[in-house]
Amino acid sequence: MVNDLFRVESVGYHYPDGRVGLAGVSLSVTEDESLVILGANASGKTTLVQMLAGLIFPESGVVEAFGSRLTEAALEQPDFSREFRQRVGVLLQNTDAMLFNPTVYDEIAFGPLQLDLSANQVRQRVDDMISLFGLEPIADQPPHQLSGGERKKVALAALLAVSPQVLLMDEPTSGLDPRSQRWFVELLTELRELGKTIVTTTHDLHVADEIADRVIVLGEQHGVAAEGPREQILTDLDLLLSVNLVHEHSHLHDGVIHIHPHSHLHRHEDHE
Amino acid sequence: MLPSWVTEVVSARTGARRRHSHFIERTLGHTSRFIGDAVFAERVARRPGYLQQLDARAKLFSLLGLLVAAAFCHHLPPLWLIGGFIVVSAARSRIEVTALFNRVWWFLPGIFLIIAVPAAFNLITPGDPLLIIYRAHPAPRFGPVPLPAELSITRQGIASAALLITRILLGVLLAVTITLTSRWQALLKAVYTNATAPFVLVLAMTYRYIFVLLWIVENMHLARRARTIAPAGPAAERRWIGGRIAALFSRSRLLTEHVYAAMLARGYRGHPRALTTSRFTWREAAWLIACAAVAALALVLDRVVLRGLRW
Repeated sequence: MVNDLFRVESVGYHYPDGRVGLAGVSLSVTEDESLVILGANASGKTTLVQMLAGLIFPESGVVEAFGSRLTEAALEQPDFSREFRQRVGVLLQNTDAMLFNPTVYDEIAFGPLQLDLSANQVRQRVDDMISLFGLEPIADQPPHQLSGGERKKVALAALLAVSPQVLLMDEPTSGLDPRSQRWFVELLTELRELGKTIVTTTHDLHVADEIADRVIVLGEQHGVAAEGPREQILTDLDLLLSVNLVHEHSHLHDGVIHIHPHSHLHRHEDHE
Repeated sequence: MLPSWVTEVVSARTGARRRHSHFIERTLGHTSRFIGDAVFAERVARRPGYLQQLDARAKLFSLLGLLVAAAFCHHLPPLWLIGGFIVVSAARSRIEVTALFNRVWWFLPGIFLIIAVPAAFNLITPGDPLLIIYRAHPAPRFGPVPLPAELSITRQGIASAALLITRILLGVLLAVTITLTSRWQALLKAVYTNATAPFVLVLAMTYRYIFVLLWIVENMHLARRARTIAPAGPAAERRWIGGRIAALFSRSRLLTEHVYAAMLARGYRGHPRALTTSRFTWREAAWLIACAAVAALALVLDRVVLRGLRW
């Protein structure tokens, strides 16, 4: 039986300056799936992740998490808040905001310290994460001395130290070099195998192709432009072109000028 | 289609005299120096020296103990004894004595002007005059305000000033030694209790985000410098500085919101918590005993050996 962890119904949101953030967005996140939210810049991906994480709230429509309405008032209830924060981890795009503790060790310990764990259990979790992510050489360093890739690793380790059921990740591979990106994709695959539900926003079709079970596309009108299995969405070049995820490419080929949507996911022979 | 002027080369505006904005350069100089100092302190605190290996709490206890002992000493030699002990400990901790004193002397001019100079005069410390500035009978007046009949530097005043300066420099020396040999986060944890938790959290985050904001300031300046072809006048410079201050304020406010969101997302519910590790071993015990012995020796020297002696 399919179990919806999140249900978003006709959600609308405006930024403080009046710009539209989300317009009539409806979607669901089911247990054990890897959902990728694809969209061009400023399509509302970050806003949607922050809404699923209970950091901002819709002006219209409904967001439900684990069968309950996700509202500001609900998150002010200590029991609901504790359970929700333990079950949902979020990786924000801005790692400078994510890493607010004096050292890497303290950063990873921050989440477990909010749980009802003994000091030794917290230490155990931190040590396990440091070992899993290979962070030993930088464990006592402050965040400002870390590279972009290291910061991302630390932010993810800090997130996983709470062992959330759902991982919400906003552009997790942006700014990573190819090796770090590969490492990240492999880690996400492992987490999927462990039964974690993963929601990732990206505009990188390669990443989506590697990690998605299902894809939701946000259009430039800040609504859901399409939704479906990975193969169906990522092969629909007209759709991807209409939402600005691939561009039109013109070139001379065999003496004829070709104009066609261009995406590195598809071999050239695929097009006429 | 790109406009045709993208291929044109236009020479820069001439005639305006290059004006350096000393304020901007000075601010950036301070920015770089702060980062440099922090990196230096971090490097020193990581050296495998004697004091670096001690628990930060033990060091803070010893700092307080030695400061209290120094406050009870009324002669210079006991203060020199405590100072000497600290310098030797610092040297054993691989801190170059020159680097240590460079950080201590920095306070001297301020102390000298604010405390030592007034204390040397008979108005603050009456006593035997060493140098008479003026002496008048009857006492002169400055309009309706009566002036003292005599203004002089006294022997007791000099002694008092010397004692004050030495005490303050000793305090600075102690604080610099402890902070140089301890990592900032270790010191914060050393003062972490349930009562101090909110302050420690705010301090730790302030220190952490100073670097982010300094990095933004540096990048704003570099970006501007990279695009400055013709020099701007002072009014434009002032406008730019004002604009950047506002931009930085706005970014720091936004960052605050993001940080708070990240804290909430990780389960923060308004009660700061931290893992504190206290490791009191024979090393810490030996250090505390040594500090207690030096403090006792200084007090005996002050109260018994030098009793009755001036200075």
